[in-house]
Amino acid sequence: MNRSFKSQSVRYLDCNAVEVKSKYGAEFRRFSVDRVKPGKFEEFYKLILHIHKIANAEVMIGYADVHGDLLPINNDDNFCKAVSSAHPLLRIFIQRQGTVSLSTWQKSRKRIREEVDYSNFGTNTLTRRKKAVVTLRNDVNRKRPQIRIGMPQDFRPVSSIIDVDILPESHRRVRLYRHGSDKPLGFYIRDGTSVRVTPHGLEKVPGIFISRMVPGGLAESTGLLAVNDEVLEVNGIEVSGKTLDQVTDMMIANSHNLIITVKPVNQRNNIVRSSRTSGSSGQSTDSSGSVGYLGVAAAAATAHSFIADELESDEDSDIVIESSIKRPSRRSNASSAHSRSHTVTPVPPSPPQRPSSTVSAASCHSQSGLNGTAHGSLSSRLQRDLCLPPHQGSSPAFRESNGSLHKILSAMRTDPRHSLALPQGGVEEDGTVITL
Amino acid sequence: MGFVVTVAGVSVRRPPAGAEKDCISVKQMTRRGRMKRFRRHGQESHRDKLKQELYQFNKTVEHGFPHQPSALGYSPSLQLLAIGTRSGAIKLYGAPGVEFMGLHEENAAVTRVFFLPNQVELVTLLDDNNLHMWTLQAHQGLSELLEIGRFTLTGPPGAPPSVTRITAVLAHSSGELLLLGTEGGHVFVVEVPGFRELEDKNISLEAVQTPEGRRNLESVEDLQENPLNPRQVLVGYGRGLMVLWDLDVNVPVLLLRQLESVWWMPDGEHILSSHSDGSYCRWMVNGEDTQNEPEKEVPYGNFPCKAITKIIQLPTTRGPPFLIFSGGMPRASYGDRHCISVISGKTHVALDFTSRIIDFFVIGEGERQKGNPSALVVLVEEELVVVDLQTEGWPIIQTPYLVPLHSSAITCSHHVSGIPLKLWERLQTAGKLQKTHYSSKPWPLIGGKNLSPDPPQRDLLLTGHEDGTVRFWDASGVCLYPMYKLSTASVFQTDADLNDNMNQGLEGEWPPFRKVGCFDPYSDDPRLGIQKIHLCKYSGYLAVAGTAGQILVLELNDESLEQSVEGTLVDLLQGQEGFRWKGHARLEEREESVNFPPGFQPFALIQCQPPAVVTALTLHSEWKLVAFGTSHGFGLFDYQQKNTVLVRCTLNPSDQLAMEGPLSRVKSIKKSLRQSFRRIRRSRVSMRKQHTNNAAKVEGAEALQEMELAPVQRKIEARSSDDSFTGLVRALYFADSFLSDSTHNTPSLWAGTNGGSIFAYTLRLPPTERRAEEPVTAHPAKEIQLMHRAPVVGLLILDGRGAPLPEPLEVAHDLARSPDMQGSHHLLVVSEEQFKVFTLPKVSSKMKLKLTAVEGSRVRRVSVAWFASSRTEEYGENGLVVLTNLGDLHVLSLPHIKMQVHYPCIRREDISGIASCVFTKHGQGFYLISPSEFERFSLSARWVVAPKCLVEAPHQASTSSGKHHKSRAQPDGVAVGRVMEHALLNDEREYFIGCLTQ
Repeated sequence: MNRSFKSQSVRYLDCNAVEVKSKYGAEFRRFSVDRVKPGKFEEFYKLILHIHKIANAEVMIGYADVHGDLLPINNDDNFCKAVSSAHPLLRIFIQRQGTVSLSTWQKSRKRIREEVDYSNFGTNTLTRRKKAVVTLRNDVNRKRPQIRIGMPQDFRPVSSIIDVDILPESHRRVRLYRHGSDKPLGFYIRDGTSVRVTPHGLEKVPGIFISRMVPGGLAESTGLLAVNDEVLEVNGIEVSGKTLDQVTDMMIANSHNLIITVKPVNQRNNIVRSSRTSGSSGQSTDSSGSVGYLGVAAAAATAHSFIADELESDEDSDIVIESSIKRPSRRSNASSAHSRSHTVTPVPPSPPQRPSSTVSAASCHSQSGLNGTAHGSLSSRLQRDLCLPPHQGSSPAFRESNGSLHKILSAMRTDPRHSLALPQGGVEEDGTVITL
Repeated sequence: MGFVVTVAGVSVRRPPAGAEKDCISVKQMTRRGRMKRFRRHGQESHRDKLKQELYQFNKTVEHGFPHQPSALGYSPSLQLLAIGTRSGAIKLYGAPGVEFMGLHEENAAVTRVFFLPNQVELVTLLDDNNLHMWTLQAHQGLSELLEIGRFTLTGPPGAPPSVTRITAVLAHSSGELLLLGTEGGHVFVVEVPGFRELEDKNISLEAVQTPEGRRNLESVEDLQENPLNPRQVLVGYGRGLMVLWDLDVNVPVLLLRQLESVWWMPDGEHILSSHSDGSYCRWMVNGEDTQNEPEKEVPYGNFPCKAITKIIQLPTTRGPPFLIFSGGMPRASYGDRHCISVISGKTHVALDFTSRIIDFFVIGEGERQKGNPSALVVLVEEELVVVDLQTEGWPIIQTPYLVPLHSSAITCSHHVSGIPLKLWERLQTAGKLQKTHYSSKPWPLIGGKNLSPDPPQRDLLLTGHEDGTVRFWDASGVCLYPMYKLSTASVFQTDADLNDNMNQGLEGEWPPFRKVGCFDPYSDDPRLGIQKIHLCKYSGYLAVAGTAGQILVLELNDESLEQSVEGTLVDLLQGQEGFRWKGHARLEEREESVNFPPGFQPFALIQCQPPAVVTALTLHSEWKLVAFGTSHGFGLFDYQQKNTVLVRCTLNPSDQLAMEGPLSRVKSIKKSLRQSFRRIRRSRVSMRKQHTNNAAKVEGAEALQEMELAPVQRKIEARSSDDSFTGLVRALYFADSFLSDSTHNTPSLWAGTNGGSIFAYTLRLPPTERRAEEPVTAHPAKEIQLMHRAPVVGLLILDGRGAPLPEPLEVAHDLARSPDMQGSHHLLVVSEEQFKVFTLPKVSSKMKLKLTAVEGSRVRRVSVAWFASSRTEEYGENGLVVLTNLGDLHVLSLPHIKMQVHYPCIRREDISGIASCVFTKHGQGFYLISPSEFERFSLSARWVVAPKCLVEAPHQASTSSGKHHKSRAQPDGVAVGRVMEHALLNDEREYFIGCLTQ
């Protein structure tokens, strides 16, 4: 108490210093950084390694923000943000990297909280809901293995509100990311009539409305769409004048990256204009009580860098499987994983410099050990390998292909027809290569 | 030429594909707008001008037989035939190539069509009781059918509508009067054109005096004019009274039977009346005899007969007259037949039609058609039959148009442009042998002049039918003329009786029936139905695939051949487990040898197992390979060595629906039955509730309302690989391209499925000299899974110049440039939702065009067409012609897949129309507007096949050789009247207008 008061006074005296409490395993370190000029993340990272005497290990750095949420520090921006928003002190949590599990991950802040609670982070004194957690903690430790949380770039956003700055306040543009998600999009649309203000007064016009949500579906879980919301646009194309079937086709055609502009039936939860001054720079506003929006704002913050990327290149990354003509035998035995080399390349996220659909062959000899892996673990191994840097989760292609790879894998198990011979040495492309 | 060069240059300078790429961005619109601003104006206008020279949309002509005809009219002076339909269309036909079409604004059935005698006007009566006047107006040397007036008969105020309900129309031979008999028994006289009611000339009920005093005469059934004395009109009333109406005198003739129709014989002295009891009477008109009731005759006597609805008798100079009447069959035994009886002396035939008779007329010899009857023209509901009355046995004359395309339901169609003369002639010869039972007389309707130029090339339209036939139509010009008919049924064992005893009546049968017409919609075995056709026009090889997984490869042979066809069974499942085919069984091939007449004769038969519908078919005549696909997989067959080269199962193991086969439909019937029973029970329960509880009633009503108001919902769900029928093969394509490396091109086979998968195989063909011995082999080369998983509907490889690869043998016949093998080839994949271009041999996406994501429409039909410029001979472009599920036509440029033009073409509700669409290689197309009619459309500004014809007024035609003065001097009623009218407006043009209005 005394100390905290003291630090408070220190802060008043010297406004530039921010007290930092850093935790690595069971160890704590305390130091301070400059609030105005916190410096680069790189330097901070080195500082952390130095202070905690961590050698030869990659770590992830997270901090607790004003709401008690664990947020990552992995670049200059969020480092800056962490330092500037520290109140009164910046609490840092360090975790050793390398045991990242691709858990079913939701970008919703609510979920993060939950996962944090169950993770090894959560066992520390992180949240203000500590008491509630304490009761849980024991069974948590008993019941389930500890889930580790990966870096934000490993995560995949599920939904977001976009273009808040250019849309009227009464409208909402929602982006649903289905990539790799096993959840169905899960909503229905119907015909209806809506009232428009025209130069001739109010006029009834036909419109498209959301008619039903599938429980547990993606649309429902985002909380951003509701029954009776009027659909105005689908991926930037107005739906007025289009039939229900046309709109259905448009939505399904865009389902891998669906952006729908709706006029919510409930206009009370609209984003307040004043909060958009910072655009999508990641400022999360607490003005609205809706958890969903908060989560989205946070998602927009962390996911911002690659959202732009995806907007530019929503290339449908088609899977191409090539087989060498020199191997005439297609009748390979399904039981022998060795004899059957399967090369699948999902297309990289297609930033301009990369080819958007790639074909590849076995360039990953280093991973040849995988060939011997038992069938049951293939898909999990594959998944893990798929999220290797540098592509990681930011690749829409990967997400897209993730599901279908599953399909291929499952099909392979049952169906030897899918096996194709491996092209020998025909590798020209770079990019992610998966060898089975 | 200079122009072309600049255009090409400009198109190169346009923004590259990437710059304009339709990224799905919410800011798309604004970005596009900006793009436009940056573009140079010159380029755009250049391209726009070029587009105008290349593309133009026209619906040009309707082929086939009009759907649901309801009225027939004939003009002996114009030699034109008019057919009105229940949808309000009116079609005029004369000599082959002379045809006109009009459509009433009202969607009402045409009940009567009348030409005004000796004029180019015709009058239609719709079932909403309106009269419409049409004329054939000459415009720039071509006639057009135009509506020029309409008229509604107005009765006295307060009169019931029946007073003015028109039941009979007589176009008076003067051409200036129209007599309208009504349901109320009145006859109104109207002056035409102009539709002026002449009230003082009306024949009202009050004026008709009968010996027994006034009584209800009922409606006017028929009106006939005395052929010799135009001042005399015979009015037949429904109650059986006939009144001969002269200018002032009326001579009533009493009858006591129900009257159906009256006919005034050409001699002017006799009248025939037909009656509802199947009898007819012959009346003398001269003198007092008219009062005596003549003897009635019942042609099919003794037992009660059905009504004779129309009767005519025509004299011949050489022998006995022709008595022709419809109906009159013995009610009990043959009451359901549609018959027209023709009696001439001892010859008596009851022509037995397969559908309801609408109307008939007889064409006479000579210029005025007053001579011997030469042909009987019968319009029945499904076809037009013309009987040659001058040739022994009264054979049928083959119609050059109005052919019943749907004599068996059309199941698919295939168009082949530019048929080589050799094949054309051989087909014609084979076709002629099939038409020996037709009359050799020329087509008797010869009105109008066909002014359209000779078709630039020979085109064939092939239609596959439900009964296993393939019909070959000459689709080069305006008339879709039947050339040849191929029947595949003889290859298989079916219950069908092969001996076509349609024309054989039993000896001594009474009435003496004779089956006429070819409309026969009953298929003996639906498995015979043709689903896919592929014809190689250079080699004369034809591949035909059907409903039960049968694929026949046929070759054109000028000699008849007796042989048995052995089938090759191809198991498409490839040992896939858990499969149970619940659909129909495979067709059994005939074991004994069958005699195949000259024409296409089968020499290879492939039977797919399971015998599912063949969904894709292609044939490569140069490599002698045929590829086929069903919902289970695809196969490749070498038809020279007659062995299977490749079989690939495309089934998804989790696809249960495809597993079970098409009979899962049965389940849904069961389900729907169960549901409907439940509904009945529920409604009964609710009814009981209604009795007991009033409140419950209200509730129930609310629930019902809610149920009715429950909106149509659509589920938004991304496609998954588990969706049904993902394995269905939609597209097959042979190409000689760079599949494995960029230096050696190899033959390849490409297959695309409903689930967005593409399979590519390299083919190894032995050298020509050892082609018959060494096996053809296929090796899997590539598999592409489209991420959007939409069905692949088209596959195409573009050569180094961006042009599609030519057809097999096309280069060998010097009809196409050999493809550019220097530059890199590209693969164009058309899915229902997107157009994607991939590089080859390394498959990577190069460009794409999204259709569904942007417009919400899906590709239904796609084809490559050559668009020639209408301005210069030298310039032309390849384009991709696309029909969407909304019925819109798009033309996309190749190889840059950019939208060029789009036109709405088919109503989006017309699913069968959209499904039936077939494109030609020159930017035209056909689609079914009814089961029996093809609409022909043209997207090209150069190639337009449309009727161009001229019909001259009869007087004009006869006086065209310098008799103008006479025709003017003649006191020709209408012409003078019109001339006077116009003369008031413009003195100088008096003569000219007078001429025109005749």
